[in-house]
Amino acid sequence: MSLTVALSKGKLLAGTEALFRRVGLPFPEGEGRRLVVEMDGLRFLFVKDMDVPTYVEYGVADCGIAGRDVLLELASDVYEPFDLGFGRCRLVVARPRGGPDPHRASTVRVATKYPRVASAHFLARGQSVEVVKLAGSVELAPGLGLADCIVDVVETGRTLEENGLEAVEEVASSSARLIVNRASYHARRAEIAKLLESLAP
Amino acid sequence: MNGSSHERSQVPPGVQCFLGEEARRRRGIEERVTSVFEGWGYEEIIPPLFDYADVFAGEALAPRTYTFVGRDGSLLALRPDFTSLLAKIAAGRLADRPAPLRLYYSGEVLRYEPPKAGRQSELHQMGLEHLGGGRAADAETLAIAAECLETVGASDWVLAVGHVGVFAGLTAGLDPGVLDRLRERVEAKDASGVRAALHGAPGGVRDAVAHLTTLAGDVSVLAEAHGALAFCGPAAAALGELSEVVDALVHAGLGPRLAIDLGEVRGLDYYTGLVFRAYARGLGFEVGSGGRYDTLLARFGRPLPAVGFMLGLDRLALLLDRQGALDASPGTEPEAVPAGNVADGLARARALRAQGRRVRLDGGR
Repeated sequence: MSLTVALSKGKLLAGTEALFRRVGLPFPEGEGRRLVVEMDGLRFLFVKDMDVPTYVEYGVADCGIAGRDVLLELASDVYEPFDLGFGRCRLVVARPRGGPDPHRASTVRVATKYPRVASAHFLARGQSVEVVKLAGSVELAPGLGLADCIVDVVETGRTLEENGLEAVEEVASSSARLIVNRASYHARRAEIAKLLESLAP
Repeated sequence: MNGSSHERSQVPPGVQCFLGEEARRRRGIEERVTSVFEGWGYEEIIPPLFDYADVFAGEALAPRTYTFVGRDGSLLALRPDFTSLLAKIAAGRLADRPAPLRLYYSGEVLRYEPPKAGRQSELHQMGLEHLGGGRAADAETLAIAAECLETVGASDWVLAVGHVGVFAGLTAGLDPGVLDRLRERVEAKDASGVRAALHGAPGGVRDAVAHLTTLAGDVSVLAEAHGALAFCGPAAAALGELSEVVDALVHAGLGPRLAIDLGEVRGLDYYTGLVFRAYARGLGFEVGSGGRYDTLLARFGRPLPAVGFMLGLDRLALLLDRQGALDASPGTEPEAVPAGNVADGLARARALRAQGRRVRLDGGR
């Protein structure tokens, strides 16, 4: 039985494809792809980035590539043997440009795709927090009065700027990580070791 | 149902109900596992379903325990595990019984946690505790765990063994504030995370702890570990203990079933020596786990070293189902016995039952 690899079909896809091609691992061709592809001894699952750790944690996939931002949010119980160096971004708190510092509010209303990370960040400072969970376009929330600030990932900061926001604090830095299911790591040792070796930075 | 917010047939999240064939399969697995425990000379204990809450006052379990106030005002708890109860019994009712004590259990525990990755609030654990034994008991416990997995018909499984003394030895003297974070990064096999957590520590310690994230594999890993960790006396001593147990198991033919995992550092507040987890192909999480806990019994007034392990019946059933290894033989169809005349039907049914046949009375009113 071949190893199953869960990959993001979102923002990490291009970097993952480049990495696989560089180290000589198989990778499915073409866009508009199928969600499950078998190829040269590997089975690929293409899923949403937020779902990659879940597939791996449950062992449906033996390993996967997920952003640290997603791993922090899901707190998945998986092995994270190494950083792959691409997909770099930062998880930040951002507020309307020149607006009040959300870290001074008694209760922070924060819009985010990362409810766990966001609430932990403010609770650790002794602030109360009201999380408004959104699935996307988080940058719109402060301007529309849905929240005082956001916690979101930024790469260049341009999206923040275009929406009249500015980062006030970095919560965590993120990049793509190789993750491995705990049982596969031990019960399929030889195959996993080979894959780890080819992907090691 | 006055004021109730749920449908009549709804069950609360986290509990399970098994019917017919599934119940029979679970019972079959349970019987096989407990017959292995019996076979190794262990004695069954059926402890109470609830006890005083302070019996279960472990750091990891306490927040997940269902507690309630008894009629006399005492704080009680539904059992979140068996080990504490068996320790209490060993120190109390069995105080006069000379060590070692070999005890086993099989039953439900209740934990307040969201259902996730094969974990419900109500789970069935089957396990044993060997109280008052040394390294030989470690090896015995692992051998019994192996026989349980063989006996239920699982395939492609390994016992991943480690020793918490390796990590504890290397990190002795570090700021306790760093330790939690560090332990979590070692557990995730995240070498760069380990280095980041230890940025202020001496380089040798940082390298050695980071090395724990890759000291995993077949038994040859132990030789590599001995070389790398010789500089730290307590870590080397722990490694020596582990090697002794592993050698015994290899000698007993279990070598191919062993995986070494020196990054296995969970439950550090509880375990004091060898630790292990059972993994198998087809299930993404462990089917069972165990280890040495030499300090727990002192809490109950009978300081004895101890080692034990448990298998989760729910996870084992799931694993065997996935591996297609479940004894699929359904019970034989019952024979229909006409019972239009109840007296005749009953007499006929009793005669068949006396021959051990399975019957179903039909057509009675």
